[in-house]
Amino acid sequence: MPLLETRGVTVRFGGNTAVDDVSLTVAEGQITGLIGPNGAGKTTMFNTITGLQKPASGQVLLDGADITKLPPAKRARRGMARTFQRLELFLSLSVRDNVRVAGDVRRSTGRRRRFDLEAETDRILERTGLTDIADQEVSDIPIGRARVVEVARALMTSPRVLLLDEPASGQTEQETEAFAEMLTGLAADGLAICLVEHDLPLVMGLCSMIHVLDYGALIASGTPAEIKESPEVIAAYIGTEEAA
Amino acid sequence: MTTFLTYTILGLVLGAVYFIAASGLVLTYNTSGIFNFAHGAQAMFGTFLYWQFTNVWGWPVWLALVIVVGVVGPAMGAALHAVIMRGLRGTAEVTKIIVTVAVLLGTVYLAQWAWNPDEAYTVDMFFGGGAKITVAGVVVRWHEIVCLAAAVAIAVGLRILFTRSRTGVVMRASVDDPDLVRLNGHDPERAAMLAWALGSTLAVLAGVLIVPISGGGLDANMLTLLVIDAFAAAMFGRLRSIPRTFAGAIVLGLAANYVLAYMPSAGTFAGNLRVSLPMILLFVVLVVLPQDRLRGAAVRTRERYRPPTVRSAAVWGAVLVAVVYLYSLLLSDGGVSTLALGMSFAIIALSLTVLTGYAGELNLAPLAFGAVATVVAFHFGVRGSGLAARLGVHGVLLGVLAAAVVGGLIALPALRLRGLYLALATMAFGVFLSNMVLRDTTQHELFGVTFTLFPGGSLVIPPPKLGPVDLRDGTTFLMTATVLFALIAIGLAALRAGGYGRRLAAMKDSPAATAMLGQNLVRLKLGVFMISAAIAGLGGILMSAATGTVAQENFTFTVSLSLLMLVVVAGIGYISGALFGGLMAGVGGAVLVGTFGDLALEHEGPAEIFTALSHLVMVLTALVGMGVGKNPSGVVHDIVEGYRAMRGAKPLLYGAAAFGAVLYVLAVTGVIGSWTFSLIALSVVMLLPVVGRMVLEEGRKRETPLELLGVDEPYTDDVRARLDQELGLPVTSVKGEVSATA
Repeated sequence: MPLLETRGVTVRFGGNTAVDDVSLTVAEGQITGLIGPNGAGKTTMFNTITGLQKPASGQVLLDGADITKLPPAKRARRGMARTFQRLELFLSLSVRDNVRVAGDVRRSTGRRRRFDLEAETDRILERTGLTDIADQEVSDIPIGRARVVEVARALMTSPRVLLLDEPASGQTEQETEAFAEMLTGLAADGLAICLVEHDLPLVMGLCSMIHVLDYGALIASGTPAEIKESPEVIAAYIGTEEAA
Repeated sequence: MTTFLTYTILGLVLGAVYFIAASGLVLTYNTSGIFNFAHGAQAMFGTFLYWQFTNVWGWPVWLALVIVVGVVGPAMGAALHAVIMRGLRGTAEVTKIIVTVAVLLGTVYLAQWAWNPDEAYTVDMFFGGGAKITVAGVVVRWHEIVCLAAAVAIAVGLRILFTRSRTGVVMRASVDDPDLVRLNGHDPERAAMLAWALGSTLAVLAGVLIVPISGGGLDANMLTLLVIDAFAAAMFGRLRSIPRTFAGAIVLGLAANYVLAYMPSAGTFAGNLRVSLPMILLFVVLVVLPQDRLRGAAVRTRERYRPPTVRSAAVWGAVLVAVVYLYSLLLSDGGVSTLALGMSFAIIALSLTVLTGYAGELNLAPLAFGAVATVVAFHFGVRGSGLAARLGVHGVLLGVLAAAVVGGLIALPALRLRGLYLALATMAFGVFLSNMVLRDTTQHELFGVTFTLFPGGSLVIPPPKLGPVDLRDGTTFLMTATVLFALIAIGLAALRAGGYGRRLAAMKDSPAATAMLGQNLVRLKLGVFMISAAIAGLGGILMSAATGTVAQENFTFTVSLSLLMLVVVAGIGYISGALFGGLMAGVGGAVLVGTFGDLALEHEGPAEIFTALSHLVMVLTALVGMGVGKNPSGVVHDIVEGYRAMRGAKPLLYGAAAFGAVLYVLAVTGVIGSWTFSLIALSVVMLLPVVGRMVLEEGRKRETPLELLGVDEPYTDDVRARLDQELGLPVTSVKGEVSATA
């Protein structure tokens, strides 16, 4: 059974259908890709899964339980974490405190009340390779590393599902390499990762399952090899002959 | 039946004027994203001008009306936009609100300067009160017909403007995405300026229309609040829909008049209820509004604060207590109790530091919570009578508890919504409290207990007795208030440095991201609001005890607003900002104005100059408040940064300290007066960082940046050597140094 699942999710903004009847799955211990051209509805999908956006119809299930009606905070407490495409870091806090505050919240809500906040923060900073800039103001660091801070903050909630919205954009090649390695490691530890990303080689290399959105509709799902061969995907990305 | 018809017509007329006021508010909010708290003040100012033109200068009504509504209104709006409001794009919601609050205060101060509030002013109806027709046995005045016609015309006009005209569409688009509007070849600023001009015209029109139908008396504070009633109507339209705003305004007008017609008129209850009705309605609207979508950081705010460590807060707290004690030795008894009053205000100001500075939420009526605590403490905490009467610890604690609980209840409906709505809810509560509760002199019976909230319209608050500490003595009172301030400040520093403070900062920076960490935002906001209300309650009790006898005037909305503005100007994120702002609000203005007043009495010649100066002080503080958009971090921030930069200039700091000590000795021994001492000491503290910065700049040898070498100075061998060195070339120095390229 997949850990995260959407069934027939439809989102409308006024008369505009941003997401149209999308059903997809994200499995434990794997990296699942969600790709598509700009405006395909990827971020809207993330917002719906995390509860920031109410769907017009459809369901979101986490571990088999229907969470469609739950507010974002409750979903987070059930093990859902995400990063934002438009960075949403806490600008008045340092890098370390951005990560630590996730632990503060965890403590205050009574989940695993007893854990060593400092040690856990250090461990996450170490794992994400942020130790060297831990005490800098988050507004002073380059955007590529700021995206990693978002990932570190999300990891601090000890999630079961991690939704990453274009985490590699703005990263240098070396940063992306290290980042990919880290994601593989996290998935190997059993985390379910859903990755929205425009860097196709990265997605193809990392993901074991890929969903493709176009104009709000799911046009293909499958392994990277299958996706590469899919005529619908090629049409969406490169355009059909008539359109060209 | 005639009664019903009469009151229905009166209600429709009042509703019509409410609509005119509310529509201006909706217009500016939709175009610039700024909720104009100064809307009522603009109406008030225009109406005073109208009075000046017709009653003093003897202009005909039509001419005065054309000038006020056709020229002054638009000019005022356009000027506001050009000078202040357009600079607010991209600032935090709190900053926007504070700036309009400063405009409100500044306008009120200005009006009170120009038109002495101790005199009475009346505005007549158009065509006079006698011009009327009788329809079905009901008398309708021509003025009232004008109100109705104007409202209908404006409603239709705005509807067409917003939905049918290109200008209207540009206006609406300007708030959503000004850049996109610009790319499409329209000027968002022009649309915004037009909206401000129209909005303030509507405000002025509403002012001129509403004064005659609500008795004819013109009073700066009252008229400002009267138009604020229209806020409720605007909320009814969710600040967007013109038709719904119209409906809300009509319901409001009718309800107010039916209350007058059908409620038992014994006592003050019906009258008070009528006045409070708009605020009650505003509250109901808040409760039923649907939840907002969670937002991320809307803006990258320019505010920057350095949170203090607990240790430094403790050190500074001790310093504060010592300084205040030494200073109190210089003061007369009167001076000591004035300072104690100021310190109580500073404690109330701390409630704003935690709420606004740490959590980014607003409370526009902190004094209202002080009033709640005071009333509860008075009714449950006074022991003994006459001179032996004391306010016991249990009374203070009960009062603080009550303030926290009431705070929670008030905030709860608004917490699901955006910050603006919490600000509006607190405003509604503040106005409601001063109208309903603090004027409530009638006897009530509840659960078999009879009581009167405000017997005789005022409360005599005896000095508190906290355990063995009797606050009857002025110095003891002052020192207790100072110690309490220091303790709360240390507590807040500890709170900010801990996990709770980090969660508050996170919520302030990005609500959406904080929710995604699993944080229940409503609970967090509720908690911090209750803490804040409790602090305001404690400060309020002390303030009341320091004042001795308190009445409704001590807790008005205007007093709350000026406290808030001064704290923001001083620095809302800083504890020292609360100290400065609180002292200024509590005693600073009064001391300055009082001093100028005394000077005016003593020197008859330049008396007018001194009176003018005292007014100028008030207007200037409001002007500084309007400038908050440019420097959102506050004045204290600049001073703190100045001192931080001076760490290297130890001799200067020691010198200043020695100078201060000498000055103090002179003051204690009576060589110089305490006033002189205060002035010099304050100037030194303020000017030291400025001087220090100049000295430091002087001492630092400026090195020309590499790319500017040789541009405006001769190209010497030294310059060439430096270039070579920077570029890593073999140094061709005359001295024959070894090259570093190996």
